[in-house]
Amino acid sequence: MRYKVLTVDDSKTVRIIVKKAFKPFDCEIFEAANGVEGLAVASKETPDLILLDVTMPVMDGVEMLTKLKSDPALKSIPVVMLTAEGGRDNVLKIAKIGVRDYLVKPFKEDVLIEKCSRVIDLKPMNEGPAKAKSILDPADILIVEDKPAIISQIQDGLKHTPWKVKGVATQAEAIDQITKTTPDLILISLSLPEESAFTLFRLIRTNVKTKYTPVFALVVKTETQQQQQAQTVGFTAIITKPIDTQELETKVAKAMNLDTSQRYYAIEGEMMVMRLPEHCSPAVIAEAAAYLKPKFAEAVDAGFNKVVIDVHQIKSLHMGIIKLLFQAMQTCRDLAMQFALVGNPQIISECKGFEDTRGWTFYDSLEDAKTNLGRSAGSPALASV
Amino acid sequence: MPATAEITEALIRENINRAVTDVFKTMLGRTPTFCSQGEYVKGKMLVTSEPNRPQVVGTVGFIGECNGLIYLHLDLAFAKVCTCHLLGMTDKELEMAGDEVINDAIGELTNMTVGSFKNALCDAGYPCKLTIPSILRGTNFSIEPISSAVRHIYYFDCAEHRVIADILMKSDE
Repeated sequence: MRYKVLTVDDSKTVRIIVKKAFKPFDCEIFEAANGVEGLAVASKETPDLILLDVTMPVMDGVEMLTKLKSDPALKSIPVVMLTAEGGRDNVLKIAKIGVRDYLVKPFKEDVLIEKCSRVIDLKPMNEGPAKAKSILDPADILIVEDKPAIISQIQDGLKHTPWKVKGVATQAEAIDQITKTTPDLILISLSLPEESAFTLFRLIRTNVKTKYTPVFALVVKTETQQQQQAQTVGFTAIITKPIDTQELETKVAKAMNLDTSQRYYAIEGEMMVMRLPEHCSPAVIAEAAAYLKPKFAEAVDAGFNKVVIDVHQIKSLHMGIIKLLFQAMQTCRDLAMQFALVGNPQIISECKGFEDTRGWTFYDSLEDAKTNLGRSAGSPALASV
Repeated sequence: MPATAEITEALIRENINRAVTDVFKTMLGRTPTFCSQGEYVKGKMLVTSEPNRPQVVGTVGFIGECNGLIYLHLDLAFAKVCTCHLLGMTDKELEMAGDEVINDAIGELTNMTVGSFKNALCDAGYPCKLTIPSILRGTNFSIEPISSAVRHIYYFDCAEHRVIADILMKSDE
């Protein structure tokens, strides 16, 4: 839902600052230069929040607030006063008419947003150009962990990604870092002293900029009580130590809602290549399977009707891989696509050992498979099985 | 209610120092330092930098149990820097936007400064309200108070610029 915020201030400067402050959030800003204009806009737009100055020409903020509160159609609109008028008696007088909050100028944009987010559930804009969309886009990951070896391990494990992974050791450093740059994902070690991991988590969730940021808990595998506590308070995911960085990468991508299809599917030349990585964990298989039908259909739609299924990086077969390959070949048949398999001696040998895979034929290299598929006619017959 | 004569110079100095510091620090990310207290000499100009440089002066009054007016003097170059920072504009964008934007921004800075100053007076037992801001612009001009006004002038240094708070308060008589 896109919130409507009305700023009523005779100063164009303040109205611009308000607009600037709300820019990162999914809301529409309306402006009025005095109480009369403010009431007119409020009647027409029925905003979700009004930011109101006091000293204005034509009709001041106190008069506008009084009229607003006496209008049955408008009286429920929450009002936050944003004014240089901060004398105790005046504030009390205005508060009695009915305001949700009171902010005295000068004000910091962050404080304005924080106060407003208590009234309306501000959500960051999703269309921001800096936001990661695919696995190939940069993203900022913050690790809050007092053991440098763990930070290094995660940084090493994710160094092949375009993600910038920064580590800090304390809650204070984390808050400082989050204030400077809002991370796309945060990992917090539950072993931080004095339960500060949970305190930090609560602070993150009450900050309007990070309340929707995925937060992972880092915890030793055997610490089941801490894991349960983390799940109860609402951590996005639990990562157990010792850390499987491949699993971590998959969970990070999922939590950031990234398009990870490029890991497995790519258009190369005149055909699509489906490529499975060396380690095919159940998470990897599930991820590749989720994209299979849409990516194949997308390729056909774009005029590509040949697929190379490349499994030469895989060290050993298991049932999950076999099922996925059957599913890929069946999808090719359904879409009348030609396909070829690329494997290594180990995989080829293991396939000979199963009844269902004994008949599969593999090329030794991607180039051979591409050449062969390129030569074949446009008929939808299988290139190799 | 205390007589306005009880508003001592020390209280005024403390309030204006707090107000200028608070506004410039919060809105502009700059910390001004109180430099000196000036003395009014009839007909003498208050200049923030060298003479013959254009000045932008914001004015906001306060009316109630105590009455007065504060002029906030900035040289045009600093006024532009402040406006760009407040509005997140580049020099070029500001040039295209024109003087009105600078006037509005300096008017608002003055409004906030005088607001902070008068809020402290309100809390000290002198309830009063703000007036709408106005702007004076020019080069080589002086502002003359009426004879019944008490005048206090305070100089601040802020990021290699001089800011002057010129306070005129109506006396009891």
